[in-house]
Amino acid sequence: MKTKKAVDMVVRHVFLALMALFWLIPIIWLVVTSFSAYPGIRTSHFFPEQWSFVNYQKLLFQPDTVCNFPAWFRNSMIIGFACCIISTLFVLMVSYAFSCMRFPSRKKLMSFSIILGMFPGVLSMIAIYFILKMFGISDSLVGLIVVYSAGSGLGFLICKGFFDTIPTSLRESAKLEGANEFTIFTQIVIPLSRPMIVYTVINSFLTPWMDFVMAKLMIRSKDPADWTVAVGLYNILQKTLLNNYFSVFCAGGVVVAIPISVLFVIMQKFYVEGITGGAVKG
Amino acid sequence: MKNFLQAIKKYFVDLGTAIVKGDIWTKLSLVIFGAGYIGHGQVIKGLLVTALEAGIILFTGKISWPYIAKLDSLGTVQREMVLDPVTFQKVENDYDNSLLILLMGVLGIIIIAAFVFFLISNVKSNYRIQKLKEEGKHVNSFLEDLKSLVNEKFHITLLTLPSIGVIFMCILPIVFMICIAFTNYDAAHQPPSNLFTWVGMKNFINMFSSKGGGSYGYTFARLLTWTLIWAALATFTTYIGGILLALLINHENTKLKKLWRSLFVITISIPQFVTLLLISKMFSNFGIINGILSNIGVTGALQKMGWITTDYIPFMTQKGWTHVMIVLINIWIGVPYQMLSATGILLNIPSEQLESARIDGANKWQIFWKITMPYVLFITGPSLVTSFIGNINNFNVIYLLTGDYVTADASLAASNAKDVDLLITWLFRITADSPKMEYYMASVIGIFVFVVCAVLSLITFSNMIKGDREEVFR
Repeated sequence: MKTKKAVDMVVRHVFLALMALFWLIPIIWLVVTSFSAYPGIRTSHFFPEQWSFVNYQKLLFQPDTVCNFPAWFRNSMIIGFACCIISTLFVLMVSYAFSCMRFPSRKKLMSFSIILGMFPGVLSMIAIYFILKMFGISDSLVGLIVVYSAGSGLGFLICKGFFDTIPTSLRESAKLEGANEFTIFTQIVIPLSRPMIVYTVINSFLTPWMDFVMAKLMIRSKDPADWTVAVGLYNILQKTLLNNYFSVFCAGGVVVAIPISVLFVIMQKFYVEGITGGAVKG
Repeated sequence: MKNFLQAIKKYFVDLGTAIVKGDIWTKLSLVIFGAGYIGHGQVIKGLLVTALEAGIILFTGKISWPYIAKLDSLGTVQREMVLDPVTFQKVENDYDNSLLILLMGVLGIIIIAAFVFFLISNVKSNYRIQKLKEEGKHVNSFLEDLKSLVNEKFHITLLTLPSIGVIFMCILPIVFMICIAFTNYDAAHQPPSNLFTWVGMKNFINMFSSKGGGSYGYTFARLLTWTLIWAALATFTTYIGGILLALLINHENTKLKKLWRSLFVITISIPQFVTLLLISKMFSNFGIINGILSNIGVTGALQKMGWITTDYIPFMTQKGWTHVMIVLINIWIGVPYQMLSATGILLNIPSEQLESARIDGANKWQIFWKITMPYVLFITGPSLVTSFIGNINNFNVIYLLTGDYVTADASLAASNAKDVDLLITWLFRITADSPKMEYYMASVIGIFVFVVCAVLSLITFSNMIKGDREEVFR
């Protein structure tokens, strides 16, 4: 019995190690390439023949006419912070209204929102661009912030599922004590939903970092200083630039991944809790 | 359906009673919205409502009406340079911009519809106050009305801002793009220099048939099949893979669970566009994978076997190869996500159930198949449909991986598609990557994708929306 268990453990761990290696190969390649002295794509060696920091130096301190990473990073940061404030507020507000309030046409509104969310975003992007242009905020950070956060109220499902699990008795007893809905929302429900809020905050902060299509369509400016990280990094992978900037691209990928990884480690715990909090509801 | 009809009937009957039985103030509020409130003692509210009415009427009359009036033709005056008789310089004439006409027209109509709705509920609300007064009951003062906005009417406060956002960034674009499907808006009819106009159902007929030698019908059928196959494969593989990986990591014999989990999560924490572009470069014709494979002789062996005719393995450039690669790479992308959520579910299996099964003498396999799996399937069932829909719309994976792909199929190429395109990436290529920019065709595809997704999600979520289970866990 003991040997059987030992064999099982060895097989299990060897298999997991192989899987992990398979999953990490592209990441390892990304990291080692970012330290390569050769700027283009290497085709025969996995590890660079000559190591150097030159790509990071180029990326962070020597912005040129096609690659202005400090500006991209700043733009994405601003958009990320603005979005996470607006989106989190919107999601919490909509979720509370749908989960804790009872008003006529509540269910109709909910189904309507779910159907709306089904419309392929790629299609409405073209129209969104014209709308931004109409308001004179296309090609600007404000425009992108609006694009990412205005419709965020529709993403209420998971958060609402979480609010549904907060016992009604809590709210009712507060009401008996004379609290109004606003007090219940801010003093009881919000403090109770810390994991959900962390999940929503991180998620909405990450949206502008992860998204590529929207930013590419919305930003038509030719000046690299106006781009976001996604648009900028995509651009330096063009065929004409590839051979001079591939290693820089990898360095950029690593730099972007660091803050996001930190957030993910924080979120991992809440992610699991948040998802199931909503999911148990079916 | 019956309830729905009854609700509509009640809506108008209520309106009728309010108008017929209302006193002079209530009747007056049909024209001057605030009249009823003022007459019944709510002066500030009455003034505010009247001001809002005036604002809407002014906006419609001054700004949106000129556009609405031109909606039927979408404008007739082409932009030209004309000679200004005063300054003797060439200036632009007062031209029509079809795009602006459509956009402002749609916005104007949405506002008029909201206005009518506002009018009806306003009369009803006036009638309610009139009745309260007749019965000698308390009528809210303005301060009390304000207070109710943080209490029993808190939902109005909460939903106003998000709704405005949704109207401008979701509803307006959707209505606008649906309209585009019935026009001839493309690069040759691009405002402001050119006009576009309504063409009726022509685009839909073009899309779904191959009459007139068009390649759209053929492309549509091809890509629809691939989209569905892709969505099924992608959903199924990542779902099974994620659950298996989660089971493997969470098994009692596995040490260092957190470490393993984190190793896989690292792959999520790098933005998708970075990893996808990187992988597409790794597998490109002259990329590192091909370099290494040819060094160790795999490429030569495959050539001898007649599998490939080129000096490289066309991972990302030949159909068949690319289809398989995309599904495989998507497993790489998707499994860690599924693993995370499956882990959460596995950790939350009610332990009493497992315990009692163990006491009753069930063995591990029985527990796994009779308790763990049904539980996981039950909870993740709806998410399967969500991810199926997500995969139908999985733009990133396809678009970022297939940048180098060139289709060999002339009919597909004629309609700007590639063999490996989903409907959604085809839509994007039609508008952004093709010089013709046939927005109208993109809209037709978009409407079709929307209908498919909406039907699927309605079937799945109808139970959830009904909310019968909302109270279960409280």
